[in-house]
Amino acid sequence: MAKQIFRLKVNGDNYEVFVEPNRCLHEVIRDEIGLTGTKEGCGTGDCGACTLWINGAPVTSCLMLVGEGEGAEVTTIEGLARDGELHPVQKAFIQHGALQCGFCIPGMIMSAAALLRDNPHPSELEIRQGIAGNLCRCTGYTKIVEAIEAVAAGSR
Amino acid sequence: MTTTYRSVHQRQPRLEGAAKVTGGTVYTADLRLHRMVHAKALRAPYAHALIKRLDVSKARAYPGVVGVFTAADLPQHLPRDGANRLHTVLADKEVMYYGQPVAAVVADEASVAEEALDLIEVEYQELPAVLDILDALKQDAPPVRHSMAGIDRSELAAHTTLAAADEQTTEKTPPNVTHRMVWSRGDVERAFKEADVVVERSFRASWTHQGYIEPMSGIVDCDRNGDYTVWTSTQGDFTTREGLAKVLGVPETKVRVNFVEMGGGFGAKIQPFGAVLPAIIARILRRPVKYIFSRSEDLRSADPSSQAYIETKLAAKKDGAFTAFKARAVYDSGSFPGSPLMAGANLLGAYYKFPNLEIEGLEVITNRVSQGALRAPGTPQATFAIESTVDIMAKELGMDPLELRIKNAVTQGDLMPNGRAFSKIGLVEVLQRFKETSFWKNRNGKPSANGKKVGVGFAVGGWLGGGSPSSASVELNADGTVSVMVGANDVTGTNTSFAQIVSEALGLPIERINVKTGDTSLAPYAGVSAGSKTLRTVGLSVQRAAQDALDQMFKIVSERLECSSEDLESVDGQIRVKGSPEKAITFELLGTMSTGFGSPTPVILGRGNVGTPAAAPGFTIQGAKVEVDPETGEVNILDAVCVQDVGFAINPLSVEGQIQGGVAQSLGLGFSEEMVWDDKGVLRNPTLLDYRIPTALDLPRIETALVEVPVEGAGPYGAKGVGEPPIAAGAAALVNAVSDAVGARVYTLPATSERILAALGKLPG
Repeated sequence: MAKQIFRLKVNGDNYEVFVEPNRCLHEVIRDEIGLTGTKEGCGTGDCGACTLWINGAPVTSCLMLVGEGEGAEVTTIEGLARDGELHPVQKAFIQHGALQCGFCIPGMIMSAAALLRDNPHPSELEIRQGIAGNLCRCTGYTKIVEAIEAVAAGSR
Repeated sequence: MTTTYRSVHQRQPRLEGAAKVTGGTVYTADLRLHRMVHAKALRAPYAHALIKRLDVSKARAYPGVVGVFTAADLPQHLPRDGANRLHTVLADKEVMYYGQPVAAVVADEASVAEEALDLIEVEYQELPAVLDILDALKQDAPPVRHSMAGIDRSELAAHTTLAAADEQTTEKTPPNVTHRMVWSRGDVERAFKEADVVVERSFRASWTHQGYIEPMSGIVDCDRNGDYTVWTSTQGDFTTREGLAKVLGVPETKVRVNFVEMGGGFGAKIQPFGAVLPAIIARILRRPVKYIFSRSEDLRSADPSSQAYIETKLAAKKDGAFTAFKARAVYDSGSFPGSPLMAGANLLGAYYKFPNLEIEGLEVITNRVSQGALRAPGTPQATFAIESTVDIMAKELGMDPLELRIKNAVTQGDLMPNGRAFSKIGLVEVLQRFKETSFWKNRNGKPSANGKKVGVGFAVGGWLGGGSPSSASVELNADGTVSVMVGANDVTGTNTSFAQIVSEALGLPIERINVKTGDTSLAPYAGVSAGSKTLRTVGLSVQRAAQDALDQMFKIVSERLECSSEDLESVDGQIRVKGSPEKAITFELLGTMSTGFGSPTPVILGRGNVGTPAAAPGFTIQGAKVEVDPETGEVNILDAVCVQDVGFAINPLSVEGQIQGGVAQSLGLGFSEEMVWDDKGVLRNPTLLDYRIPTALDLPRIETALVEVPVEGAGPYGAKGVGEPPIAAGAAALVNAVSDAVGARVYTLPATSERILAALGKLPG
């Protein structure tokens, strides 16, 4: 398949990439732009490890073609911390022991941060619904839910 | 007297947490090297077949393809070791399981390699496949594999001769039975005759997958000196080195395995399955080769956990005392031997005092992918069998199931089936502590609603814990900070716990300690991170290395301050005379002294190296409260708890987290996780949508309660292994809870909606 130029805006920076149009968005962000925080765990949208934001909405980027990212504000886990300061969800995940192997964590945090932005004081059920698309095999989710609750409590 | 600790026994967040939450942590797939090529495998569509013709010429000619490899192209790996899957990199004439790699394509781009796979022409002759575990036991079953070369059946012969009373010994061993053992003591038959109640049942547990989120992956380079450099998702850098050196036929000094973070393993990543193929191709191409399993490949053809079939027979007196236990456990090893039969069969009869016992264990091979370890391998299957049986016995006796367990629970000195006696263990303490949990206090809290039935169940579980020799170094830097180097792969925060141990030993704030896992050409040796042993084995070495470094510092300081080493203490980054804190030398000064140009002071380099420490079995009790819809069979888990004896929690934050993860996994084994094959041995659910590992919505908040029965010498401060006990009992607890809810019992794991409805007589079984 012939390569084409695509223009992407990721974490506020503009990129031009020259790739086949059948490449998935997460692959291009990882392999061409070099932001490898977005993970691939399944490639079929089941595990959520590739979760990033398109215009603020969390999506599984392994189900998107590179062209679908054009014209959008793409935010990856690398773009969540601002001015060297970790996002409150990032801090809480560390503080509450919500991470182990860490592979699901970038996607998990992108889902959690989007949830709290849209619903600053979610119930436990709403938290679990918000991260239900992100599989974690290490933690059993308990400390993840606690970390998200702590952020919500802190913003009261 | 209560000892107060400054660093250990404290809730310490992960020291490398910032990298993990910002996407900065590097996993194998994140790496790209110059001149790197990508490998993809063609996988067999049959469970058992002969390869009649294999033509790769069109794939070789495809633009962008760098090379195509078949078993015939890898003569340096012959003769292969039939018992060892690592040596069977690509199928050689015979396919033994669905998804077995038949050929590998290497290309500049992964997508090109994948496209070229379609151009490979293979003609198969399908052979009869042995798939069911009971079929595999049959004398007239077709052989799972033509070549049994390398499969050691001598142990089998030895055991069958020993058990002369067994009828089977007069028969020829069935072709697919690769191991048989019998453990016995006392007179079980007589005890059954004299018993008041006898319960006899049979159970099955399905094949399950470890479900790590990072698929198997590896990158291997080979330079013109024949030196290999490896990055791979593994639980053991040193075991990877050992495995690759053997397969490649090179000394271990020629293989350097770099530490990269692993995105979960749970036993599957003990063997270097992700690194062998790229290593061999790198040797041929002299270029870095990257090999990443797709999720479908990983589910089809990694090394999942074996199915088991277990028969139990339990005898008790009216007062609840168990008098005899007889069992037959069959573990399916897939197409290569090596199942967790011994561990499973031993724990099957290890939780309770059985004066009379007989356990027969059998391993069979089938035409399925070869099995690997899954967290306490063999144990969830065995625990499901014994803990269901005990629950049934409690009902038959009309006794409280918890009191029945407490009455019969093993304590120090009691015998395991394998004849060994337990050392100091905390099972009874765990069972007593269970009554104080919120779970127990609220067990009757919520009434059944909307026609749904609520039930509570629990089960005992345990794991003996593995061990291996280890080593570590602790070095004082010029600026007074301390570098710790280990060879153990950090999965669940062990490096943070090591920093706590060093901080405690040196009296140095944890911020000034940096623990790193070194590559295998530099790091002190450590065994694989498995068997719930990393913290307790390597932790002992770290503790010893810190003490060694401290002794060296004390010696220097005592000479400087003209006092005895015994009069010194290390507090807050300085070594000072007890009672005279003004007489002190800081770590900074010692660092300068021991590294300065022209300085006579030697470098402070502490070394710790220990053999396998004392055994420290860890026991748990797990509880589950469920709501079952008797119309649909749907299970909703309302509450879950795990009480566990951890010996001594170096870092309670990570201990709790690891336990909660184990509980989640064990509940998955209980209600949703199952590899489903069709009658041809083709896996029907090779996606994470259909292989259902629990989501956040499937699970409740998981309560943990830590019991600490420390065992001196087993681990630092008496710490025991934590990782495996919590997966042992959750599935059994869940099935007991379902039974409590609906009054019908499921005898096959997982207890899916279909099986629950079948147990209720609403679906054919």
